[in-house]
Amino acid sequence: MKRRVVITACSAITPIGYDKDTIIENLRLGRSGVKPLRDDGLLTRHIHSRVFGTVDYPIEYGFKRHFTKTMGPVAYYACQVAKDVLERSGLSQDFITSGRLGVAFGSTHGSPTVQREIYKTFFHDIDTKFSSIGAVDYLRSMVHTTAVNITRMFGITGRVIASSTACTTSSQSIGYGYEMVKYGMQDAMICGGADEYDTTTVAVFDNLLACSVNYNATPHCTPRPFDTNRDGLVVGEGGGAVLLEEYESAKKRGAVILGEIIGFACNNNGGDLILPNLDGITATLRLALQDAAITPADVDFISAHATATKMGDVIEAQAIAAVYGDKPLVTGLKSYMGHTMGTCGVIELILTTYMMEQGFIAPTLNLENVDERCRMLRHTRELTDTKTKIAGIQNFAFGGVNTCLLVKNGSEVR
Amino acid sequence: MTKDDIQNKILAILTEDFEFEKPGLDDNLRDDHGFDSIDAIELLGKIELTILGFSLTRDEKEKAMGIRTINDIVAYIEDIKQSRNK
Repeated sequence: MKRRVVITACSAITPIGYDKDTIIENLRLGRSGVKPLRDDGLLTRHIHSRVFGTVDYPIEYGFKRHFTKTMGPVAYYACQVAKDVLERSGLSQDFITSGRLGVAFGSTHGSPTVQREIYKTFFHDIDTKFSSIGAVDYLRSMVHTTAVNITRMFGITGRVIASSTACTTSSQSIGYGYEMVKYGMQDAMICGGADEYDTTTVAVFDNLLACSVNYNATPHCTPRPFDTNRDGLVVGEGGGAVLLEEYESAKKRGAVILGEIIGFACNNNGGDLILPNLDGITATLRLALQDAAITPADVDFISAHATATKMGDVIEAQAIAAVYGDKPLVTGLKSYMGHTMGTCGVIELILTTYMMEQGFIAPTLNLENVDERCRMLRHTRELTDTKTKIAGIQNFAFGGVNTCLLVKNGSEVR
Repeated sequence: MTKDDIQNKILAILTEDFEFEKPGLDDNLRDDHGFDSIDAIELLGKIELTILGFSLTRDEKEKAMGIRTINDIVAYIEDIKQSRNK
């Protein structure tokens, strides 16, 4: 059994906004969501990179304590976007709890905020007289906390897939959710990812000399994907969810179709856990085209992973050139938000569907002088009004995991 | 701390920290207020810190699992205090 899989609802909490109109406006106006790194009172003073893709607007969650008692900040993001997609989908309560709806959702490492409190207990020997590690700290910080808090809040009884593959977490969630529906294991899946404000991730990349440090006084000028003066990635926070549904049933119930997932690939480089790998990435892009049964010429737009690291961008540019040549427009959307880690794939997919619906492609921010090793691509240098039929969303992670999603414009789905 | 003090303290904890609405002393904690096993463990931690001032043993905690009402909680705390004072 092979079924078509469509996106019928989405929601994203991003450093450039939460509601669709704000996000589109910020993309059109080239506004960055990168701000000064907030002080965590623990690691910040040791970190050289002082920039962060920041969610600094209020969000009215309205969750009852019955649910929040098992939620760290990452689960708040996750449950909020899941709530949005369920509300927007129009799915019946009977279907939501039927076992035919599953959840594929993840984060980089559960809730670092909760984990940080546990570290304090160890490092400062706090309160030896009483149990200072809360009974629910595990539920709030475990790696599948986002997925199961979503199931708990909405009474979802289908499959749970809790990807945790760093930067490919949510793209993998979407890909595996797509396969669940495509092959008939589930009729619909809520897919996505979330990552909260976290300085441990910044510290890790900072120690690897992979974080941006030259623009601390001008956060909006970094990251700079494909630019000669790029100096590394900027960690960010956020959450995103899409509802994937089997096409025929979505059409039958009159659901709004935002896009169709037509192809997915995921592989591993089979070696180094950090360095980008041209062969592995190139193979991923080709496997996705094969899964979608389309040619490279069919793809109009590439949302590149493009973290603005020295080598990552060059290797990705080589892979895109090898597979697609210079036909599709290429944008690095992280230039607007920084690298939202486990949630970057779903956010970049959602932003791509917004742009496809609105008929424009946003340029890569801060791309002033294209690195000569990346010049063979058709970079989006300015806001471009264009009809995109098919787009590719590429993400690559520590651990050598690569993903590629291919999505068709919702107006083209018939 | 008198029985009334304990009762008032428990009512305050359940109202403020556990979002109970109009708790009654004989209400069924689970059926009337959605109190579950996670809440029970959390409440024991608060009882240790704010009422007893000492850590409960494993046996003492397991005895708490039979609690069904607020009156049961108050009686449980009084029992613990008495047994520790022997």
